Amino acid sequence: MTQSAYTPPILRKSGFRAYFRRNYDMYLLLIPGLLYALMFRLLPLLGISIAFVDYNMFAGSNPIKAILASKFVGIENFTRVFRKADFRQALSNTFTISFMKIVVLFPLPILFALIIHSLRSVKFKRVVQTIVYIPHFFSWVVVSGIFMQILSSGGLINTALLRSGLFSEPVKFFMDQKIFRWLLIFTDGWKEIGWSTIVNLAALAGVDQELYEAAVIDGARKMQQLLYITLPCILSTIILMLIMRVGSVMDAGFSQILVMYNATVYKVSDIIQTYVYRIGLGKMDFSLGTAVGLFNSAVAFVLVISTNMISRKTLGKSIW
Amino acid sequence: MVEKRAAGFYIVECLKYLVMILFALTTLLPFVNLIAKSFSGEAPVISGRVTFWPLSPTLETYRWVLKGSSFFNALRVSGIITVTGALGAVVLTAMTAFPLSHPGFRGRRGVLYLWVFIMLFNGGIVPNYMLYRTLGMMDTLFSLILPGLVNVYNMFLIKNYFESLPESLEEAARIDGANNLRTLFQIVLPISLPMLATITLFYAVAYWNDYFTARLYISTLSRRPLQLYLYDMINNALRIMDQGLDANTGAISADEVMNLTPETVRSAAIVLSTLPILMVYPFLQKYFVTGIVVGSVKG
Repeated sequence: MTQSAYTPPILRKSGFRAYFRRNYDMYLLLIPGLLYALMFRLLPLLGISIAFVDYNMFAGSNPIKAILASKFVGIENFTRVFRKADFRQALSNTFTISFMKIVVLFPLPILFALIIHSLRSVKFKRVVQTIVYIPHFFSWVVVSGIFMQILSSGGLINTALLRSGLFSEPVKFFMDQKIFRWLLIFTDGWKEIGWSTIVNLAALAGVDQELYEAAVIDGARKMQQLLYITLPCILSTIILMLIMRVGSVMDAGFSQILVMYNATVYKVSDIIQTYVYRIGLGKMDFSLGTAVGLFNSAVAFVLVISTNMISRKTLGKSIW
Repeated sequence: MVEKRAAGFYIVECLKYLVMILFALTTLLPFVNLIAKSFSGEAPVISGRVTFWPLSPTLETYRWVLKGSSFFNALRVSGIITVTGALGAVVLTAMTAFPLSHPGFRGRRGVLYLWVFIMLFNGGIVPNYMLYRTLGMMDTLFSLILPGLVNVYNMFLIKNYFESLPESLEEAARIDGANNLRTLFQIVLPISLPMLATITLFYAVAYWNDYFTARLYISTLSRRPLQLYLYDMINNALRIMDQGLDANTGAISADEVMNLTPETVRSAAIVLSTLPILMVYPFLQKYFVTGIVVGSVKG
């Protein structure tokens, strides 16, 4: 819709007042959204200042007064938290788990989409597609519950392992520091690979059919079509998704880990956001929690902005 | 030569089908096992004999889970949050998106930047928690509904969709003397219904599956949404059964609990909480795929 759609040229020359009088209802439409933004998105930003004080909630009758009455400590909260071993552990866990997820879970949906795309039986394709993305709609509570059940000591998997004779006692999947990270990756894959596959399939469906027809006339075999048409056509989309995925590396799966982890595996699975939750709200250390949260958003912000810029510069494509 | 290639071709084809069958089975079987357990008797479950078919089938477990008001209460809470949340969210989001979809709208750039800023920056868990406490939203359903009302990504999807509508449509409305509001509600929204249905589903699924917000803000048992109820059930099944706890569950005799194990109770609770999602799955399928196409990155 161009300007002329609602601003006749005559009015465009006149001042804002005339424009406003004619389109005041447009501004009315914006108000509820802006109120929401102010209340629930901008107001909490004031709370970030807690990160720079030694917050004492009893210092004032409301949080703003309490912040003003608390002692200003500069970046002491940040230096304090960086000296903590469990914070440094959480930081390294965040990166480790994220990269494990990217390396294992990023290529699989592309492979699966290519396979489904190349299948002949339409019926089979449809059935597979319908099944594999059901778990995308399950909450993490449900997914975690399902796996707690089949992986419990008397569950399906352990019974099979014991019967096979390879194991003499049940594997404690949720309690074993060596296994737990892989459990996180497997369950994340179980929940989301199907969905990502469908998304990739949609990209594949967008490849121009005429290219294939031309290739067939030129005598290209299936493998050659894959290498010279399909892959080049979706490559930039794949790279874009990969760049964006790397940009969100600070989110190693908060909602998943919060539901699935327990004290025995904190060491290998505590990530920054779960750390913020435990320190900030669990132990009520508001200042420290906010400082870590701010550190987290700042790193995430820089990563997202720069990966978006990289992809715009190199691929000419970006999210915004 | 030709025969050799044909043989290799068939092997590859078979492998492809095999991989996909394995993929589908891996997705399905854990859930099938769960359903089987939920309908099985106590003994076969404890001895680990239940695989993909109920053994000594019984409905006792379901009868116990559905007894009292706990489950239905949680279902009701989730229903209220999901319906009011998703409908409110889609209306608010569309209202926000409409002015921004007009390139000539004055102030457009500033407002757009504000929303991008909001998308990228947030206060974090602790400041949000303090805000809701100050606003008196603790332990109310407002704390579950209000914060999720505008998802900036969804707002951009709607805005892009409005931009793709033919110009002539709005022009015609204006020539007939309709103002912007009437154009939005009587012309633009009705023809955008499929798109709005998709976004409504995005919101509905997010509200339905939200567990963290409830864990933070809800403390009264009867205000727990389904996901929180389920979390408690999964992690405290034994205690809940022992005490007949859960103030809402009616008193139960020791006999009744005798035939139950935490395993079957958990299974039944999970199956019951996924039922609503499975029932609307056909709709999800129809509209989410539209959503993918709409949301695919613009070149």
